[in-house]
Amino acid sequence: MAVLRPFDKLPALNSAVLLLVGSDEGLQQKLAEAMLREKKNFKINIWLMRAGQCYLITSQLLRLWPQFTNTAGQLGCLCFSDSLKNVEASLAHVDASFFLGKVCFLVTGVGRVNYCSVEMNAIWKLGEVYCSPVLFCELELEGIRVATAQRLLRMLQICAGHVPGVSALSFGSLMRNFADD
Amino acid sequence: MQRRQSSKTPKQPLQVHHKNQTDLSAWRKGGRIDLENSVQNDQSPNDQKNDSKQDSLEQALSYFEKVQDRVSLKKNDVLQKHLNTVESIALQRGLPPEGFDVLLNVALSGKLADTVNTRLLKSLVPASVIPENSVISSVSWLCVSKCSSNIQLLFLRWLITVFDFIDHKEQLHALYGFFFSFLQDEKMCPYVCHLLYLLTRKESVKPFRIRRLLDLQAKMGMQSHLQALLSLYKLFCPELVTITLPGKMKTYFKNSEGPWKAAINTVRRRNQENSPVSRLLFLGTAQPQSRKRKWNTQLIIPASSTNQNNLEEDREKNHVDLYSMNESFPVEQLQTFSQLLQNIHHLEFPSQMGSVLTNPLLLHYMNCIKDESIYLRLYYWMGQTLQEECTWCVADSQYEEEFKDFLETVYKTECFLQEGFSSCEEFLYRSLPLWDGFCCRSQILRLVSWIPLSSFSEMKSHLYDPLAQLFFTSSLYFKCSVLESLKELLQNWLNWHVIHLDSESDSQVYSSNTTLSGLVNVVAELIHFVGWISTAALRLENNPTFLLYFILDFYETVCDMYLRYNLPLLIMPPAGVFYPALLSMDSVSLNQLCYIMYRYRTNLVAAKQNELSKKKILQFKFSSQTYQEYNQYIIAMVGCLWTSSAFQKDIHPQGLRMDDELLKKTTVQEFKTSFNIVYHPAMMGYAVLFLQQAWPDDTTFNFSLIKGKKWNWYLEYLYAQGLKGLKVFIESSINRVSQASHSKAGNVQV
Repeated sequence: MAVLRPFDKLPALNSAVLLLVGSDEGLQQKLAEAMLREKKNFKINIWLMRAGQCYLITSQLLRLWPQFTNTAGQLGCLCFSDSLKNVEASLAHVDASFFLGKVCFLVTGVGRVNYCSVEMNAIWKLGEVYCSPVLFCELELEGIRVATAQRLLRMLQICAGHVPGVSALSFGSLMRNFADD
Repeated sequence: MQRRQSSKTPKQPLQVHHKNQTDLSAWRKGGRIDLENSVQNDQSPNDQKNDSKQDSLEQALSYFEKVQDRVSLKKNDVLQKHLNTVESIALQRGLPPEGFDVLLNVALSGKLADTVNTRLLKSLVPASVIPENSVISSVSWLCVSKCSSNIQLLFLRWLITVFDFIDHKEQLHALYGFFFSFLQDEKMCPYVCHLLYLLTRKESVKPFRIRRLLDLQAKMGMQSHLQALLSLYKLFCPELVTITLPGKMKTYFKNSEGPWKAAINTVRRRNQENSPVSRLLFLGTAQPQSRKRKWNTQLIIPASSTNQNNLEEDREKNHVDLYSMNESFPVEQLQTFSQLLQNIHHLEFPSQMGSVLTNPLLLHYMNCIKDESIYLRLYYWMGQTLQEECTWCVADSQYEEEFKDFLETVYKTECFLQEGFSSCEEFLYRSLPLWDGFCCRSQILRLVSWIPLSSFSEMKSHLYDPLAQLFFTSSLYFKCSVLESLKELLQNWLNWHVIHLDSESDSQVYSSNTTLSGLVNVVAELIHFVGWISTAALRLENNPTFLLYFILDFYETVCDMYLRYNLPLLIMPPAGVFYPALLSMDSVSLNQLCYIMYRYRTNLVAAKQNELSKKKILQFKFSSQTYQEYNQYIIAMVGCLWTSSAFQKDIHPQGLRMDDELLKKTTVQEFKTSFNIVYHPAMMGYAVLFLQQAWPDDTTFNFSLIKGKKWNWYLEYLYAQGLKGLKVFIESSINRVSQASHSKAGNVQV
């Protein structure tokens, strides 16, 4: 199985790549559009991946990689918005150490899980295991989608190394809790 | 199932009841409401417009009133027709008050089949209020066991759902013992507990009831509904309930709202839109409703909240009888503060606790009587409402505006009472981890500022962690709003401390986790948290002045805690905040920092003096670390701004100290003076203007001219420009040996 490894590709300045992994293509598309509409001072490439074909993620990525090393180059952020099972399956195909600090889980439909504490615990645990933040959003609603897009862009900018003095790793540890340090 | 014919007249059950219940005299004393009267009162023109519908409802009601035999639904078209009429009108417009008596009687008397009874009960959606006496008579039907247990359960659930619609509850309270006896029934127990929870007042708590509840708990195990009732009893009479109960529960009662809630909401919405006159039912003390919203309707006091007879008498006389001690003053007539003062001895809270929120007079009253049960009623109502209606929990944006208004009202009430509500705290703790940071943003952040003091571990996992995640990923403006509300949170805690310090004799003040040391710890944790997120935010956002302003604003409160709020705690800002402010490009930040350092100095000197004079044995002493940190900062600051020796003298580990060799390599000339009050990037603009005024002919901008006497002029010029912080800082922290000499300035260390 092909696995994405660190130092396979070198970063380029002033551009960032975002990988959205999920099964709801309509929402993915909308979120990506919202992100593209936002004002930003760096180039952004968004790749939408279907988690249903999670075995394709890495090989597809590697196949596409040469194409966007020329134009963009830097993988900034990997987002999963999907059912827990699919996300877990997809995660098996990425080198967790490479993506450390660059993964973020989007959880939608909080209203429906609200009363189901087991599911919530599983989500918190996923975030903990992968040392990655969990964002809650209702992507169906315009306002929240825009707000989420802004937050993701902000994270992408930091993870892509565009903020001096802050690396993806240090940001990741920042996002993990305050009394730990 | 009992399907016998019943020949009872509606009045009979009361007598049966009388035998079983000892306390019915109270019910009788209360006097009955004139049914016809209420019919007239409650008729809205909307009904009149729709005469045919009204007629068919009246026909249906009179049919149900007269129906004697058990009638089969399948075979009887008349029954079917009337049942359909009742159902459709109930779901569309709700039922008028007079309908409840008839329908409850027929549904609970067991005359008809259970399917019919269920349908009747399910259609009991109030258009305005439910008369208490209809509830009372139906409770008496329960007692004679004419209806099946399923119907009994359904009735209880209905009663819980519509509890707030019952016009008054004095007589219902008198039936407390009757409801209590239903606890034995295992199936009904949870619902009866819920109902009792709503009904319980201090006088209802009796030793024999507590014993009964404990017995039940021993028999049935720890049930959340029993615990809820027990904890309520314990709150009223802690001396009687000695067992320990688990602290906070997620939910005490299962959602018992059944099929009515949605219908009630639609009916209320519809009625408000269609007939402005139906507002007459709600003699609101708030301003007339321009926007008709679900929240607002809950917040208005219904006219029938107190005894209707009183109401009418008062209307006739059109004056307030000062001496009628035994009669309560109807709250909906309370309009002015002097009325409140005159009637404060016989005011009664409305049945709908939510209406208190919009009524400043009742809030005054609430504040004044300090009745625990009033707060409990309010918290219960609010907790339920917040849980049910939270927009991002139900993922429905339709009601967002209404929810915002509601949160706004809650916030204003908290400000008014100067008190955080525990139901609000629970709501925030539950929902902040799931918040997207967008929905109702300003309302949520304002509510955060009223979170009551609680233990650190709780605040960390419920408040700090989720807030930090949102903070770091959100915009600059969100960051500033978070800082602002945390500043208000700190101020609210400190105010609380000051107020309670004055009334320290009050034994309730420092309970469990709010001892003075507890308070100091929680406040310290908040300040450390803000220090931490501020440092990170300044780095992430590249030190914008806007953000720095909010951070320093927070520290303006922190630096004065000892003198202004009498709290034995001072915490210096972290280096990640201090140095960006000191080297800021903006004179506003620098000036703010100067003021803060001056206040730190004043507080620390006062603390030291207190300590030295030993007037009283101090429970808390500032650690030497605080003094040390202050001294390090002040050395750096004076070195920067005044003596031009920051790079040599700064001894802070994260400070500016640099070797001369290294500095020379930068090829910056005159690096020593580059941060004094003339050359500092935040001050240079002033220096230029000063030079232009002092030497209008000189265009070379020779800053080195500012020295000696001119240095003093320059200072005066700066002070005149409004840099008051700089003024107090220089005057307090810099010991100027002689007015003429600028080089011989030293600093004072504490």
